[in-house]
Amino acid sequence: MLELKNVTKSFNLTGVKEDLRVALDHINLQIESGEFVTIIGGNGSGKSTTMNIITGVVKPDEGQVLLNNVDITKMDEHQRASWFGHVFQDPMMGTSGDMSVLENLEIAYRRGRRHSPFAWGFKKENKKEFIKELQRFGLGLEDRLNQKVGVMSGGQRQALTLLMATLRNKPTHKVVKRDYIRFSEKDHKVAEREFDEVYIPALREYKNEVKDIKKDAKLNRKERKQAKLEAYERFDKKVRKFDLTKQILLLDEHTAALDPKTAKKVLELTDKIVKENEMTTLMITHNMKDAITYGNRLIMFHMGHIIYDVKGEEKQKLTVEDLLKKFDEADQKAEQQ
Amino acid sequence: MEVLNVIFNILTSGLPCCLLAIGVFLTFRLLDFADMTAEGSFLLGAALTAACIYRGINPFLATILGMLVGVICGIITGVLNRILKIPKLLSGIITLTASASIALMIMGITNPQDFFGTQIPLASKLSPDSPVQTIYSIFYPWNQWNRLVETIVMVVIVLIVIVGIYYFFGTEYGMAIRATGMNEKMARSQGINTTIATITCIAISNGLIALAGALYVQDALSVSTVSATGYLVIGLASILIGEAIFGKRSFKNWLISVALGAILYFTIITIAIKLGLPTQLKSLLYAVLITIALCIPLIRKGITHLIKKIGRKKQTC
Repeated sequence: MLELKNVTKSFNLTGVKEDLRVALDHINLQIESGEFVTIIGGNGSGKSTTMNIITGVVKPDEGQVLLNNVDITKMDEHQRASWFGHVFQDPMMGTSGDMSVLENLEIAYRRGRRHSPFAWGFKKENKKEFIKELQRFGLGLEDRLNQKVGVMSGGQRQALTLLMATLRNKPTHKVVKRDYIRFSEKDHKVAEREFDEVYIPALREYKNEVKDIKKDAKLNRKERKQAKLEAYERFDKKVRKFDLTKQILLLDEHTAALDPKTAKKVLELTDKIVKENEMTTLMITHNMKDAITYGNRLIMFHMGHIIYDVKGEEKQKLTVEDLLKKFDEADQKAEQQ
Repeated sequence: MEVLNVIFNILTSGLPCCLLAIGVFLTFRLLDFADMTAEGSFLLGAALTAACIYRGINPFLATILGMLVGVICGIITGVLNRILKIPKLLSGIITLTASASIALMIMGITNPQDFFGTQIPLASKLSPDSPVQTIYSIFYPWNQWNRLVETIVMVVIVLIVIVGIYYFFGTEYGMAIRATGMNEKMARSQGINTTIATITCIAISNGLIALAGALYVQDALSVSTVSATGYLVIGLASILIGEAIFGKRSFKNWLISVALGAILYFTIITIAIKLGLPTQLKSLLYAVLITIALCIPLIRKGITHLIKKIGRKKQTC
């Protein structure tokens, strides 16, 4: 669950008091895990700022950001990266143009993991997985793995960014432990003990199994490798029970810079990925129709406030006219004040 | 023998500058950081290595110490820029200014009367049986083949460095550094600590530049604040020439292009001087060379255009 509590943010670029612009005014927002929220609102209404505060690109002046009831307001963007996938409006923003598709994907795959200065950055088994994932996209990117991203079209780049935001390797056991202690809502020492009680015997068992496999003279090399892999998977499964972190996908007008046909394709892809992985998603869009069609909750921003918030059936009944009316009402209210 | 001498001249001055060019390339191209520290770390690397050798310290240790002083310079520039938020160009200039004084202090080792000095002469101290040795002279046969041995040692070091740099920038962390330089916003959203990545890259870059200084001084056998200036421009020129002629299709190709660019640069300069260009006009030649290198893509386009035009004319005839 993601929660914003009393978040306020104002920008003042010139230092003059009159130029102070309030982007967010005491926002309260709760997003349950598994929700697909579409966000609409005029320019400068605070949609993007909200998203940037969630991922840590900007820090709020006041208020807190809570993830699973844990305060993450003070954490830097790169520390939070393992929980969030961020797709920007500008297709050039989410990928590194001078690097190949493969290199971009390798970086994304290692999101939230340690970057070792000794381990070679390309791995065969990763490449196989990337090809499998890219084939689902149907953009022909799987044949262009070694091409630089800079030569590709905006639509292809944005699709790649989307994949990079959703693709992530399973977190290491160390990270699983850290996040379990952080997010389990139990006392830290209790949580740590609980994890260790499972982890340490499981690790010992796995090590013994590997020793036995090594001693076993009947197996040939291939069988031995297979047996080792199976043993590791059994061990891994036990640890994965503690994996509490679920990815949150943040889409900041990610189809705005694309032509209508590509935009539709990217949106459909988004919907498919979100549904398959049951990801919590926030999507900013200027297209009212998309905002109604996709997702199961709709939020409307106006001048740094949330003025409308619908869920479930009520949302499905909405029409574009309803939303436009809401906008007009809000404008009139602001003028009267 | 004359030709052989010229080739050795080109290689012994060009090979250290391969490392210099790669060092400048790491900041200038990978990080898009115009790093003025390069000039300072080259001088400091040269001065410290010369001072250590002057005192009879093992030349390999002296070279490593020289390299470390460059790493420190790089870290200082990185911290000034990333943590104290001083603009890129200025933070380099600050370190460069400071390094000039420190170099004078290091050179004071030859001057017992005063704390400061202006140069370290090594040439007179070098002989087969003295404790003062350079990394080349350790392997010298002390006859006319000295230059060949020197070149071989340089080639080995340069090759080791190129392979090492290629490997490092292909590792997980090296890739993170490259991503940081090319698109910092993306790197941060992918969980890379861009502050540390930038500082690491500047440190590696300046370490290489200082190593180039250390190799240079053991060949030139003397260093002064005057002789070790202007090397940033040489590094930049090598990058531009290398890129324009050998291309930058992939990281491997790019790295090799930059290294070859340095050799090519010195080939042109040495030949020009051999043909009778007064050394006073060297700077003018530098400027012309850089301009030509920058225009090569344009010239190439013009030539292909011309070829097409001629082809079309022939068809119509």
